[in-house]
Amino acid sequence: MGRYWRTYTSAAPLAVFRIAFGVMILGSIVRFWAKGWIDELYIKPTFFFPYYGFEFVKPVGDYTYLLFAVCGLSALLVALGWFYRLASVLLFLSFTYIELMDKSTYLNHYYFVSLVAFLLIFLPANGYFSVDAYRNRSGFYEQIPRWTIDSLRLLMGIVYLYAGLAKLNSDWLLEALPLRIWLPGRNDLPGIGFLFNYRETAFAFSWLGALYDLSIPFLLLNRFTRPFAYAAVVVFHVLTAVLFPIGMFPYIMIVAALVFFPAGFHQRLLALLGGLLRLPATALRLAPHPLKGAERIGVSKPPSGGGGLYSTEQATNSGIPLVKTLIYSPAQSRFLLSLFIIFFIIQIIVPFRYTLYPNELFWSEEGYRFSWRVMLMEKMGNVQFKVVDETGQQMMVNNEDHLTKLQEKMMATQPDMLVQFAHHLRDYYTQHGFRNPKVFADTYVSLNGRLGKPYIDPTVNLAQETDSFRPKKWILPFGDEIKGL
Amino acid sequence: MVHFSWKTVAFLAAFMALIWACSTSKDTPDPTPGPDPNPSNTGTDRKVLLTNIADNIILPSYANFKTKFDLMLAKSDAFAAKPDQASLTAFRQAWVDAYTEWQKVELFDVGPAESKTLRYFFNIYPANVTGIEENIVAGNASLELPASYPKQGFPALDYLINGLAATDDAILLKYTTAADAAKRLAYVKQIMTQMNTMFTAVQTEWTATYRDKFINATGIDVSGSLSKLVNGYVLNYERYIRSGKFGIPSGAMVNGVPSPEKVEAFYKKDISLILAKTAHQASIDFFNGKDVKTGKEGPGFKTYLTALGAKDSQSGKLLVEVINAQFDASNAKLGTLKPNLYDEVKTNNAAMVAVYTEMQKAVRMLKVDMTSAMSITITYADNDGD
Repeated sequence: MGRYWRTYTSAAPLAVFRIAFGVMILGSIVRFWAKGWIDELYIKPTFFFPYYGFEFVKPVGDYTYLLFAVCGLSALLVALGWFYRLASVLLFLSFTYIELMDKSTYLNHYYFVSLVAFLLIFLPANGYFSVDAYRNRSGFYEQIPRWTIDSLRLLMGIVYLYAGLAKLNSDWLLEALPLRIWLPGRNDLPGIGFLFNYRETAFAFSWLGALYDLSIPFLLLNRFTRPFAYAAVVVFHVLTAVLFPIGMFPYIMIVAALVFFPAGFHQRLLALLGGLLRLPATALRLAPHPLKGAERIGVSKPPSGGGGLYSTEQATNSGIPLVKTLIYSPAQSRFLLSLFIIFFIIQIIVPFRYTLYPNELFWSEEGYRFSWRVMLMEKMGNVQFKVVDETGQQMMVNNEDHLTKLQEKMMATQPDMLVQFAHHLRDYYTQHGFRNPKVFADTYVSLNGRLGKPYIDPTVNLAQETDSFRPKKWILPFGDEIKGL
Repeated sequence: MVHFSWKTVAFLAAFMALIWACSTSKDTPDPTPGPDPNPSNTGTDRKVLLTNIADNIILPSYANFKTKFDLMLAKSDAFAAKPDQASLTAFRQAWVDAYTEWQKVELFDVGPAESKTLRYFFNIYPANVTGIEENIVAGNASLELPASYPKQGFPALDYLINGLAATDDAILLKYTTAADAAKRLAYVKQIMTQMNTMFTAVQTEWTATYRDKFINATGIDVSGSLSKLVNGYVLNYERYIRSGKFGIPSGAMVNGVPSPEKVEAFYKKDISLILAKTAHQASIDFFNGKDVKTGKEGPGFKTYLTALGAKDSQSGKLLVEVINAQFDASNAKLGTLKPNLYDEVKTNNAAMVAVYTEMQKAVRMLKVDMTSAMSITITYADNDGD
C-alpha cells in the first residue's frame, strides 16, 4: 500500500476532467440563468428553506445574480486552469452557497458537483494543459501522484454504488415503482414510446438500472470491459435525459466518467484539442530541457529544506523528452492524504445515517438527502396549515401566499420543511397581530402509488416543535414497509 | 490496476445481455399487426383521451353554453327595448339558465379560457355593488382591470335584475323612470357585450387553432395538455367549488365566521344550491369522461387512471372507484341542503361545513393521488425524483 501513494501517472486525465467539469458547470449556470430560474427560485420567493446549521445562507436579492456570475466565471477559470487555486476555492464556495440557499431545489447532482469542486481545490489539476502552467513553467507537471486521479474515480464509484444499493428495495425491484408510474407518461415518445405501456418495461428498466449502478464502477475500472461500460454510461444517461426532467446531470456524468479512461486516451484528446485551438506545443509538454543529459533518473529523494511543491525532472534511459513530476513534500502528503481519507470515510458513512431513525426512510425522509438516492420515489402531498391564537382567532393559510409551487410541492412531503414553514407562519402571524399563535398542519401524502394518508400529527403544535437531527415523533406511521437498504 | 478477470467475464456477459435485451426490444417493430394485444395501450394514449375531451366534452359544452348565452343576450336586449314585468321575468329565466350552463364550462381552465382568464369576466362574486353603481354613474367604465371583475358577469347581473329593490315594480322603476335609467340599461348592455366578446373569443380560438394544439400536446410536463387540464380542473374543484361555494360562505376557511352574503347568486338566493350541484356534477362527469351529447362515458381521467393501473395497494380498489365513492359522499351531503344556501348558512351552517369537509377529501384525492398516479409535473424546475 505504501508504494501506491508513491506511484505517479500522467496528468492528462486530471486536466481533461478539470476542463470538462468547468465547462459543464459553466453550462449549467448559463442554462439556469437563461431559463430565468435565478429570479424565479431565488429572488421572487419571500421565504426560503435553509439547511440545518446553515440558516445564515440566504439569497442576497439582486446580488444573487452576481453570485451566479462569480460561480460561472470561476467555473470558466477552472476549465482554463487560470488562477486555478483561487478559482477552485471560489467555485466550491459560490456553488455550495447557491445550493444551501433553499432546500427545495436540492438535487443529488448539485451535491455531487459541490463535492467534486471541494476535491478540486486540493487536486493538482492545473499542472498540465492550463493557462497557469503555461504562464509559469515551474508549475508545469506531466506526472502527478496517481491517487489524485483515483480519488475522483473513487467518488464516482461511490455515487454509482450507493445509487445502486439504494435501488435494492422492495418497491423498486418487486413493484417496479416508481418507474411503473413514470414511464407511461412518456409513451408518446416517437419510436420507443409504445414500450412504456408495458409493465415489463418498467421491471426491465428497474432491474437493469440497479444492475447498471452496482456494476458500472467496476466495469469502468477494467480495461477489457471499459469500452462497453462507457457505451452503457452514454446509453443509460441519454435515456434518463430523454425520459426525465433531470437537467444537466446525465451530461455531467457522461463527461465525468471519462476519468476512468487511461492516460493515453486523454493525451490524444488534449493533443486534438490543442491542435483545434492552435495552442503551442508547450501546452502539452515541457520545452526541450537545457540540462538534457544531466538528468536524474527515477523518483528521487526530495531535496532537503523547502516546504512548497517541488518537482524532479526525470527521463528514461532511452533519452525521450524530459518528464516533470509533481511530488508532494511529506508534510503536504500527510495533510492531503489525511484530508482525503477523512473525506471519503464521511462519504461512505453518511448515506447510512438513516439507520439511526426508527421511521420508514422513504416516508419520513430522515437521513434521505446526501445519500445518492435518486429517482426512487413518486411522492406527492398536500398540506393545509391552520393558525390559531390565544384569543381564538383562527386562520387557514393559503400556502401560495408565501411559497412558490416548487417550494410548496417539496415542503408537502418533507417534515423538516413543514416545521420550518410552520415557524415562519408563527412569526408572520405574530407580526400580524396574532398572540402566541399555534400552528397545525392537516397533511396528506402519497408515496409510490399508495393511496394518500395523513403525514403529520394534526394535533401537534408545530410552532413549538424544533427541526433537529433527532427523530421527529410527530410524523405519523407509514403503515406499510419498504424492505431493503 | 485492479484485476477482475474472473468477474469480468460474468459482468461482461450480463452487460451484453442487457444491451441486447434493450436493443432488441427497442428495434423490433410490433410483430403482431392488427389490434393491439395490450388493451391498456389505447387507455394510456393521451391523444385519444384529449381528442375525446375536446370533441365530445369541451367543444359541445361551449356550444351548449353559447346557445343559452345567446338566449340571455336576446332577452336582455328585449328587456332594454321595453323594460316591463314580462321582459324582466324572461330575462331572469334566461339568466338562470345561462348561469346554470356556465357551471358546466367554468371547469375547462385550459387554453384560451386560461390565457384570457375567462372566469374573471363571468363569475367573480360577491358582486361589488358600490363599484357597479359607480360604473353606472360614470358610464363606459373599463371592465378589463382585476378590480372590475366583481362588477361584471353573472354576479353583477344578479344584482342588477334581482337585487336593486325589494319588489319587481321597484326594480322596474330603476330602469324606466329613475334618473339614471338609461345609464343603468347601458351598463347591463356593456356587461352583456363584455361577456359575449370574451366568450366568443375563447370559443373561436378553440375551434380555429387551439383544438389541434390541444390534442397534440400529449406530454405530461407543464406545457402538456393533460397537465394543464388537471391543474385547471383541480383548481376549479378546490377553489371555485369547495371554497367559493361552501368554504367561504360557511366560514369554514376564515376564522369560522359565516358570511352568508358571499353565497353564489346571492340576490336570487334560491338557485345557489342548484348552481353548486350543477358545477359539482360537471366535475364528476368530466372525471368520468362523459360525452356531453350522448351521456356515455368515453376516454377521460377515469379510463386513463384505470389503464395506468392506479389502485389503492392496501385495499386493491381502483383509484377511480375510491374517487367516485368520495364524489358520491359529497353528493350525499349536498342532498341534505335546501335550495337557498344563504338561508342554509344562517340556519343550518353545520351542513354547509359538512359539504366543505367532504369536498376537501375529494380535493386531496384529485390533487395528490390522481396527479401522482398520472405523474403530472407542476413546475419547470429540474428534478431527480423527489
